[in-house]
Amino acid sequence: MSVGSLTVAPPRTASPRSCGIAGVVLGALAWVITLPPIELRGMLASIVLAAIAAALGVVAVRGGQRKLGVETIIVALLAVAGAAASAKSSLATVESVFTWSALAAATLRYATPLLFGALGGVVSESGGVINVGLEGMMLMGCFWGVYGADLLGWWGWGLLVAMLAGGLLALVHGVLSIHLRANQIVSGMGVNFLALGITGYFLEYHYGPNGTPLNISQVPNVRLPLIQHVGFFGAAIGDANLLTWVGLALVPALTFFLFRMKWGLRLRSVGEKPRAADTVGLPVLRIRYTAVVVSGMLAALGGAYLSVGFVGSFSNDMTNGRGFISLAAMIFGKWRPWGALWACLLFGFGNAMSDRVSSVNPTLGTLFEALPYVLTLVAVAGLVGRSRPPESDGIPYERE
Amino acid sequence: MTGSAPPILELKGITKKFGSVVANDRVDFDVAAGEVHALLGENGAGKSTLMSVLYGLYTPDEGEILVDGRPVEIHSPRTAIDAGIGMVHQHFMLVRVMTVAENIVLGQEPSRWGRLDLKAARARVHELSDRYGLAVDPDARIEDITVGAEQRVEILKALYRNARILVLDEPTAVLTAQEVRELTGVLNRLKRDGAAIVFISHKLREVLDVADRITVLRRGKRVASVPRAGATEQSLARLVVGRDVVLSAAKRHGTPAEPLLAVADLHVGDERRLEKVSGVSLTVRSGEIVAIAGVDGNGQRELVDAITGMRAPASGRVRVDGREIAGQGVRAATEAGIAHIAEDRHLRGLVLPFTLAENLALREYRSPQCSARGWMRLAHLRERAGRLLSEFDVRGGGPDSYAAALSGGNQQKVAVAREIASNPKVLVAHQPTRGLDVGAIEFVHGRLIEERDKGRAILLVSLEYEEVRALADRILVIYEGRIVGEFSPDVSEEELGMAMTGGQVSRSEAVV
Amino acid sequence: MTLLEDELEGHPLGGEEESDQAALRSPARLTAFRRGSGAITVPVLTTVIAFLAGGLIVLASGHDPVSTYTSIFTGTGLNWLFPWIGGAARATAAGNLQQTLLQATPLILVGLAVAFAFRAGMFNIGGQGQYTVGGIVAVWIGSSFAGMSPVLHIAFAIVAAGLAGAAWAGIAGVLKAVTGANEVISTIMLNWIAIWLGVYCFQLGGPLQNPKMPQTPVSSNVVAGAKLPVFWGSAQLQGLDVGIFIAFALAVVFAILIKRTRFGYEARAVGFNPEAARYAGMNVGRTWVRVMLVCGAFAGVAASLDILGWKFNLYTNDIQVSQVGFYGIAVALLGRNSASGTVAAAVLFGALLTGTSDRNIHLSIDPTLVQYLTFMIEGIIIMLVATDVITLRLLKGGRRIAVALRSRPAKAARPSGHGAS
Repeated sequence: MSVGSLTVAPPRTASPRSCGIAGVVLGALAWVITLPPIELRGMLASIVLAAIAAALGVVAVRGGQRKLGVETIIVALLAVAGAAASAKSSLATVESVFTWSALAAATLRYATPLLFGALGGVVSESGGVINVGLEGMMLMGCFWGVYGADLLGWWGWGLLVAMLAGGLLALVHGVLSIHLRANQIVSGMGVNFLALGITGYFLEYHYGPNGTPLNISQVPNVRLPLIQHVGFFGAAIGDANLLTWVGLALVPALTFFLFRMKWGLRLRSVGEKPRAADTVGLPVLRIRYTAVVVSGMLAALGGAYLSVGFVGSFSNDMTNGRGFISLAAMIFGKWRPWGALWACLLFGFGNAMSDRVSSVNPTLGTLFEALPYVLTLVAVAGLVGRSRPPESDGIPYERE
Repeated sequence: MTGSAPPILELKGITKKFGSVVANDRVDFDVAAGEVHALLGENGAGKSTLMSVLYGLYTPDEGEILVDGRPVEIHSPRTAIDAGIGMVHQHFMLVRVMTVAENIVLGQEPSRWGRLDLKAARARVHELSDRYGLAVDPDARIEDITVGAEQRVEILKALYRNARILVLDEPTAVLTAQEVRELTGVLNRLKRDGAAIVFISHKLREVLDVADRITVLRRGKRVASVPRAGATEQSLARLVVGRDVVLSAAKRHGTPAEPLLAVADLHVGDERRLEKVSGVSLTVRSGEIVAIAGVDGNGQRELVDAITGMRAPASGRVRVDGREIAGQGVRAATEAGIAHIAEDRHLRGLVLPFTLAENLALREYRSPQCSARGWMRLAHLRERAGRLLSEFDVRGGGPDSYAAALSGGNQQKVAVAREIASNPKVLVAHQPTRGLDVGAIEFVHGRLIEERDKGRAILLVSLEYEEVRALADRILVIYEGRIVGEFSPDVSEEELGMAMTGGQVSRSEAVV
Repeated sequence: MTLLEDELEGHPLGGEEESDQAALRSPARLTAFRRGSGAITVPVLTTVIAFLAGGLIVLASGHDPVSTYTSIFTGTGLNWLFPWIGGAARATAAGNLQQTLLQATPLILVGLAVAFAFRAGMFNIGGQGQYTVGGIVAVWIGSSFAGMSPVLHIAFAIVAAGLAGAAWAGIAGVLKAVTGANEVISTIMLNWIAIWLGVYCFQLGGPLQNPKMPQTPVSSNVVAGAKLPVFWGSAQLQGLDVGIFIAFALAVVFAILIKRTRFGYEARAVGFNPEAARYAGMNVGRTWVRVMLVCGAFAGVAASLDILGWKFNLYTNDIQVSQVGFYGIAVALLGRNSASGTVAAAVLFGALLTGTSDRNIHLSIDPTLVQYLTFMIEGIIIMLVATDVITLRLLKGGRRIAVALRSRPAKAARPSGHGAS
């Protein structure tokens, strides 16, 4: 998948590749046509499309694009299964599950905390520090955000306190992994435990068995006056949380920062080859510290979205593994902001789907909960393959 | 211009210790504007340490540094850059995924409101590269350019930072003859512009070619500082080694018998499926050392990998004593009788956190002597290791020591011992003496000749003229993946060098 | 790695730092390497420091750390080892110690599952998922086949759970070997898939939900014949079953596998330096798969011992809140990926879990607070484990200097100087 192989490899590999990609698109289409608004009943068209897709997959395999081809075939099979499910369900059921606007809104809701975490991961790992502690940093933001909003009376202060807490925990991770040159994965796991302990301890200590108060100030939603009542868009994004918009805005902003600004260049040089950065006089350790702390702050915002933004309270281990999903989203997104966004949206969509399916069929809904993880597994194995982290990711820098 | 001008850089009494090892012992050094001052010495003589001190990467234990006669504190690369010092490191300090322009401006980027001004960067790169004849494409990615171009980028990096004192650490080690000549031209232009140049090398000939003055380091101490005029290869060699040296060792020729390794029309691609070996055919007979000579990166690595089973060739045959092994993997190659002294002992040759006993078993761990029915025979491994360590004179550890604890030379002896102990028909030795000191080199060379005389077929792949000529019974020259010539070991260096660069150089030019 | 050559010759100490780094580029490999020197002192010291730090937190929140720790210690039942404890206190202590060891049993095995992967250069975050599928299979088989002979039934359930765990982990291994998929992501994903699979199985209307309790999301109960015999304490009061011996036995198997077998040799070579392993003719991908199969089997068996030993059924909620995989990572790290270390760390963590659980009536402060205090202590332990690289560096540094000192004069004096150590 590297740019190099595209430009250097002879043109003959281009054609099986495009066959594979076309196959994936056709395969997806085979399912989509059975859903609203097309709602093709009967499975003939789907089967034909999926068969073509599978054939294209075979072509891709023959042409040397083995992984992509197999991927295409899997997509085609999944599409047939999806189409069969749609065909067997009543039209009303299909429509109630696939209310696209509601699905989109829910997708964004689920994706927001993950996005902050994943972007935090991008920042930290661009600078060469693996951050398995995202989960803990999120959890810190989750609790201290509520604490701050409760104590100081305004959600804005809550977010600030959350970021401070997340940044502080990240600093611990930074000291361990940058200064003390600890193993970064192990240090990150330690930080996760620490956060679980700290948040649980202070929840109990401050609020006792009754939990956090119910009336804290929450991050408001943004009502878009122009499109709030415009069909699909109105329902999908007309009333999204402020933090959702912040998260979405951060994606292009971070991309610009990393690839167009001098500080981004420096950060990436430190993550790729710290010795090179050092020999041109850049303060490698300071840059890494900054990256890790910013990463903790971003993750904490994601956590704060859950508590201060969405639910309005905190419960133990509220993040429940979302930090790890963020980490996966970041890797899945190839250590880039846009990639991370797509990955988070995929996870969000899976969660949203399972919610909708649960409302129709609770048993099936549970299985759909696993869907985003299955998709990620398939994607990581196939389409993404060997993605390349920053060259010095996870390696402590030492001059002497 | 032999030191008559006042020096712009002086190092006085620099001492640097690592634990109990004294890497630099009260070394004095200076260089004047418009002068090339060479720092000559063997690997490990302390040249790189001295320059790391100068560049602020190491803090000296004693001594001072003066620029323009004033003492300066250099405690980081930043302060070195500010003092006008530029360094071209032996191993380039470039970020592979970034472009040439990005690498050059890194740390001092032209920018507006923090936004990179790549246009300005490109313009500046063009200006500098035109002025000094350093051709580079500012928008190319480092991972896509040649080693020679990488070095030009490194020089531009220093010039972009207004370096007046340019330190080049072993700059020719990775260059083709053509590129070396280009580099010499660049250095002359820099000299004319009044730059002071420190040229670090361990190659006598090269130093005599470019330097105005030569300082020799031996075991961390400055042993002499001589003007270019009057210095000869012999006199420098004596200073470097500390005794008289015979520059070319006398040796007996082998008595080749039946062919053991036969490679026919081999084509091999690299990771990006670019063809790196294009139709190589060669034969190595029992009792013969055949050397593959060539400039680094002309397909040697891929050729060795394909022969030893590390990499499947695109097409072609590899036969060991009649048995076809091409594309069947390392185990098949080992079973057919191939042993392989790896080019890089840290990357492949050794498992550093393994004990020596475990390392010595890597080639033969599946043999009945080493393991039976899935169980390792630990006592046997240890006993065998003890035997090999004494036979190969490995010092600094026993069978239970970790490989990481040994010095480089002893690590290499372990790797060599293991491969020879597997009693191979064919021994592929890929740069077997890289980075070793004189004593260890002599040992490995002696051992290779001994093994040849026992009737093994040895394929030596080396970048060193000296090594190739000292050991080989036949020399094959590889250039861009093809064997372009065969020579006997008494070939002249010029002739060999010409073949190694594709024969584009005319004979008169080759004799610099 | 040409960088190394020059550095190494120039100044051996500086150079070897670099060389270690190169050999240990993967973080997982780094932890693998750290095993060995300082094997006992460092973890013990680590634990002590962590408890001291935890004591400060207790003190800061207005409680008495000494009495808190004393009551936690009493709660673990480790005071049973003191001969002067007698009477009713001894009976209570016995009961507590049984719980501690019950907790330690799965932690040993999940810890081994993580440790084995570490030794082969992989980071198995998937202990949770492997444990979960093992549990599903164990409870399914344990609650079926009512008429089977007990020994056979138990063996069948344990082996099947082990195979299920192996298969689950094998997915990650195969993906890594065939497509290069990062095992960290794939095992995290497999954890979640396993959890939802488990919830699906036992939820209301799920295929394995207990038909006798239609309103409860729980599995059927393990039949009497498939329960592991209790050998200490009363079966009614959740005494200690023989599962702990199976865990101990598997720890021995782990040690033998790693140290004495060809498979272990290959796994360690692949873990330290896959390129060198390939160079030695090993099939790196196949080794990864086989290692993951073994890891998964350990975790799967862990779940079966819980199910057949004292849980006897699985609630969907149990599946969702279980953190045994998380603990397994901590246990492996603290135990430095060795068998004995993992067993010791598992007992320590089991003790912490029991000593701070709600059922510990000795606690002078809110048990919930103490539970979270435990998390903090565990976090600090793990962080210190991460940094004991420093300790090791010191040890290694000392050794190198010693080597350098010895080799210098030796070069001049002795003709052949290989040590006999």
